[in-house]
Amino acid sequence: MKREFQLKILVVDDSKIGRMSVIKSLDIVKPDADIFQAVNGLEAVEIFKKERPDVVFLDLTMPVMDGYEALKQIMAIDKKAQVIVVSADIQNEAKLRVLAVGAKNMYPKPINDEVILQIFKQDLSV
Amino acid sequence: MVNLEFNEDQIDALKEFINISIGAATASLANLLDAFGTMHIPKIEVCNSSELAHKIESTIDLKSMYYATKQLFTGKFGGECMFVISEVSAKNLGRHLYNVTTPSRDDINDAVIELTNILTSTIVSRLTQELNTQVQFFVPSSQFIDAYSIVSSEDVADYSKIIIISTILDFKDQKINGNIYILTKDEAIESLRVLIDRKIEEIYG
Repeated sequence: MKREFQLKILVVDDSKIGRMSVIKSLDIVKPDADIFQAVNGLEAVEIFKKERPDVVFLDLTMPVMDGYEALKQIMAIDKKAQVIVVSADIQNEAKLRVLAVGAKNMYPKPINDEVILQIFKQDLSV
Repeated sequence: MVNLEFNEDQIDALKEFINISIGAATASLANLLDAFGTMHIPKIEVCNSSELAHKIESTIDLKSMYYATKQLFTGKFGGECMFVISEVSAKNLGRHLYNVTTPSRDDINDAVIELTNILTSTIVSRLTQELNTQVQFFVPSSQFIDAYSIVSSEDVADYSKIIIISTILDFKDQKINGNIYILTKDEAIESLRVLIDRKIEEIYG
């Protein structure tokens, strides 16, 4: 029997509740996805290199390495990487900055099931 | 006697909600200052009100003068927000907002009150919105004082706990180092804990 494609998703946030709120919605919208977690940008880049996730949900304000730098490094590794930025920073300029680097889109925290569903329909090709 | 300590998950959730609140406040201030603001990770600490004077004195330059602005808010999570900004940062703010080289004391005071009003009301209202509750704000008042006079025993007499939010408001041409102190009573902290637990339950299942 042919094995179905297993979606790999990396969720990056220094806050546990920040990661869990994304994962909770992913469990509903993409229940079969393989979820990886990182607590800062550096860890995210390492996991990205090793696991090559199909989608990355990335926070911006994090210790060790922030989301802007992680995004740059992820896009340098794979220019087709599908990164969705989820941040408390709701300034339009922040959004323009991450879009310029290659993020698929940026959403304000906290996100919910409807937003995750919309992201998969509108922003991602998986 | 109620337990007023926060566990690891509650502190993590409180930090995340405050981070979201700081994001909203940064965006509001960016509009006010017409400059992009870089967000920094806020440091959050919960301590007893008796420690406030010591906490403030240990984080600021004791030789400088400060503008200390206070704003009361009431509701299930009620208390008082205090924002402390140095004279130098306040002058920069006045220069920037009024586009003058030497802003008057009244101009600076007005600018500081406006900044505090946006900052504290956005932070507290966004925080309470996350926790599905509401608060009502009162008009802020500001004092220009030395480092040792920022907190008097009368200021903290009505409160038991302080939530300290240390952050840098980093805008294009100025850095405003500011500490935000949320003074609360036992009942408010207990309500906050219950609200956080409810939110954690919603998310963790």
